[in-house]
Amino acid sequence: MTAYLLRRLGHALATIFVAVTLVFLAMRALPGNPLLARFGQHPDQKQMEWLEKQYGWDRPVYEQLGTFYWRIVRYGDFGESIARPTKSVAGELLEKVPATVELTLAALALAIPLGMAAGTAAAIWKNRWPDRLCTFGSLLGVSVPVFFLAIGLRALLPWFPVSGRLPSAEALFEPLTGLYTLDTLLRGRFDLLPAVLHHLALPAVALSTIPMAIVARITRGSMLEVLSADYIRTARAKGGGLLRVVLRHALPNAAVPITNIVGLQVGLLLSGAVLTETVFDWPGLGLYVKTAVVGDTDYPAVQGSAIVIATMFVSINLLVDLLFVWLDPRIRVK
Amino acid sequence: MFHFASLSLFGAALLFAVGCGGSGANSSRGDVLIYAQSDDPKTLDPISTDIAEAVHVITNVFDTLVTYDETTTDLVPSLAESWKTSDDGLTWTFKLRPGVLFHDGTPCNAAAVKLTFDRLLVPLAESPDKSSNPAGVLAHPHVYIVDRPYQSAYNMIQAVEISGDTTVVFKLLYPSAIFLNNLAMFPASISSPAGLDEHGRNFAEHPVGTGPFKFVKWDRGQRIVLEQFDGHWRGPAKIKTLIVVPVQENATRMQRLERGEIHIAEGLSPAELDVLSKNEKLVVQSHEAMNVAYLTMNVEKSPLGNRKVREAIALAIDKKTLLQVGYGGNAQVGVSMVPPTMWGHDKDLEDRPFDLAKAKQLMEEGASEEGMKLPIKLELSVMNQARTYLQQPLPMAKFLKDSLAPIGIELSIRGRDVNAHFDALMAGEHQLGLAGWNSDNNDPDNFLYTLCDQDNISKAGNNLSRFRSDKLHDLLTAGQKEMDKEKRLKIYSDAQRLILQEVPVVPLAHTQIRTAHVRGLAGFQLHTTALVRFRHAHFEAAK
Repeated sequence: MTAYLLRRLGHALATIFVAVTLVFLAMRALPGNPLLARFGQHPDQKQMEWLEKQYGWDRPVYEQLGTFYWRIVRYGDFGESIARPTKSVAGELLEKVPATVELTLAALALAIPLGMAAGTAAAIWKNRWPDRLCTFGSLLGVSVPVFFLAIGLRALLPWFPVSGRLPSAEALFEPLTGLYTLDTLLRGRFDLLPAVLHHLALPAVALSTIPMAIVARITRGSMLEVLSADYIRTARAKGGGLLRVVLRHALPNAAVPITNIVGLQVGLLLSGAVLTETVFDWPGLGLYVKTAVVGDTDYPAVQGSAIVIATMFVSINLLVDLLFVWLDPRIRVK
Repeated sequence: MFHFASLSLFGAALLFAVGCGGSGANSSRGDVLIYAQSDDPKTLDPISTDIAEAVHVITNVFDTLVTYDETTTDLVPSLAESWKTSDDGLTWTFKLRPGVLFHDGTPCNAAAVKLTFDRLLVPLAESPDKSSNPAGVLAHPHVYIVDRPYQSAYNMIQAVEISGDTTVVFKLLYPSAIFLNNLAMFPASISSPAGLDEHGRNFAEHPVGTGPFKFVKWDRGQRIVLEQFDGHWRGPAKIKTLIVVPVQENATRMQRLERGEIHIAEGLSPAELDVLSKNEKLVVQSHEAMNVAYLTMNVEKSPLGNRKVREAIALAIDKKTLLQVGYGGNAQVGVSMVPPTMWGHDKDLEDRPFDLAKAKQLMEEGASEEGMKLPIKLELSVMNQARTYLQQPLPMAKFLKDSLAPIGIELSIRGRDVNAHFDALMAGEHQLGLAGWNSDNNDPDNFLYTLCDQDNISKAGNNLSRFRSDKLHDLLTAGQKEMDKEKRLKIYSDAQRLILQEVPVVPLAHTQIRTAHVRGLAGFQLHTTALVRFRHAHFEAAK
């Protein structure tokens, strides 16, 4: 088991290294001078050349890549943002990640239970209206673009705030962990909790549709297979109620593929839902990466984000694999 | 597997709690004004930015020595009470307004003015070890960053001298007609020496000035909070708290305004503003501005070096229709690079009329002189993001493609993000390109010299057409040093005629600035210089 774990960890590190290196090289290949985001309509050639030298952009790319990794390994330093030269990328990421985590958790709290419920219902009443509804719903869920959904939701539900995490006038709230739902409690600002949840609702719903649809589809498929198994028929024949048989016997056995797909979705959501965060001005990782790539060409910000995203993705995958072992003893490796 | 069931319950409970939440959809009116713009500033240090989003905040936190009148573009005293010039135009003496305080309570005196300009002007250290500040950047303890995009606007200053507590003397290298205008620009905002000492490198995030609003806090990417400064020398601002929020998506900004979550939304497109103007709860304010959108033709790329080809292109563009396509009609036809709202614009300049027949003929002549056969393939570079002067870049580009097809030019459109776009244009990689300029200092020099003079051909220069003319250069440099207004007017008129004749650029449009805000907001007035000032803004009592 230890050897297996070590091997998996090695794979994980190698994956992160390859992903981050690719991002590093891709950023250098992008056209456009990152300094123009700072100088705007008044570029000063002398100052810009000075800065290019300071950033080491006049060195060969492999040397820049080496320096980049050296500073991370030796000093744990992700560098400073180019667009916001007084800010360290690590510090900025620490501010952004909790916002994304909170949004992800909220979206999952909607997507997993509802998706599983819908998928299960579809499997039980196969080819009848719950099944058709589920199929149609999940097709809609994966195919409606987030920005369209966001605008639609806001038009349909006008009593929800349009964007942000708190009313803009709520200027003096000081977050602690960055998870605002938690922070309102920790700071004793219970009065703000409804407003925080209120702001969280629409982005969470918008973000939940795709994973919900996928979870529903997978649950349906997996449940169909399990429900036709002999032991389910036996349990039913012994007089087990439908709900009891489904919850106690069918669902746990259908859980492996569901866990797998949920794990993948968690990884995807944590890497920052770029569109959702942009439309709702959610100050998380997705919005950070989008601005860094599109507006600023901010190399260190993108590279730092790439490390965080790759690490989250790979660790979630690793966790899911370990979870399999726990869920299904047959998979256990020697 | 009961935890699945409980998870569902939690989800349902969350939805329920949220449905009942109800608070926070409407921000309270009265003491708090919320201004939404499309992006968060990068820095709030006046010397190191060029970005409008930052300038909107800086103008309200800082004051300059002289400034623009509330409604006109006349220069009026601000932190300087009065000034006089020596006969040779080389010495300017400013008498500071007594008793002005910075937000931190320290006095705004001659030393503060000197420090401000020292920061702006100090040259780069030869090497990091020769600098005197910890960042290893410059030979000045209070400059932490290389960027000073506007440094060249103050190149005429030789030295700033203190003469007593309230008198500052500027020694110039040469007489300059634009010196006073440039003192009114935001990079010359007077900063607090004590604030610089206290915050050091973080001054960019803790600006301290003398302006009507003092800085409270900045949650990056979420809000900048400013508070009315009781001790402002003009008297306190009318609104207590000013919150500046970044809202990236236009649709989101629009919906937030409609819901009353924000009070002013800037940077919306003409179509969006037209929708909002029909909303009874909102007001769309329009104001003339000082900008130009133009087509640059890189004269170093064949066949654009041929004047006949350039003229043919100019003749083939129906600018009146273009205004509808690109701006929904909220703009004026561009004839000169100098906007008509600006002093120095030559009103008598006559544009080439739209004339396809003549365009075709010139194009054929030009092409055969260049040894080329029609149709010619050319590429038009365009930015993907909207700008004040180019509110709908892509429809504009498509319009130009259709306009040039009849004269034998097959245009392909190359879109890039705005940074990459200007990077390519300054490097001269383009053939045709859409570009534009917003006024810095309300002087024609800022448009003509910056955009058309041969001094500004470089990978960081704004003469994008790379047009060289000694005659134009002589005119433009003479204009910078001429102090007599009538003579300057003549010089700039000649320069505009020369540019029209040689067509290195085709001026397309001068746009208005338009901003939407909630009804009941008073004292918020757009300004020709695009300055955004909140000192008088307040809500009228509800009826």
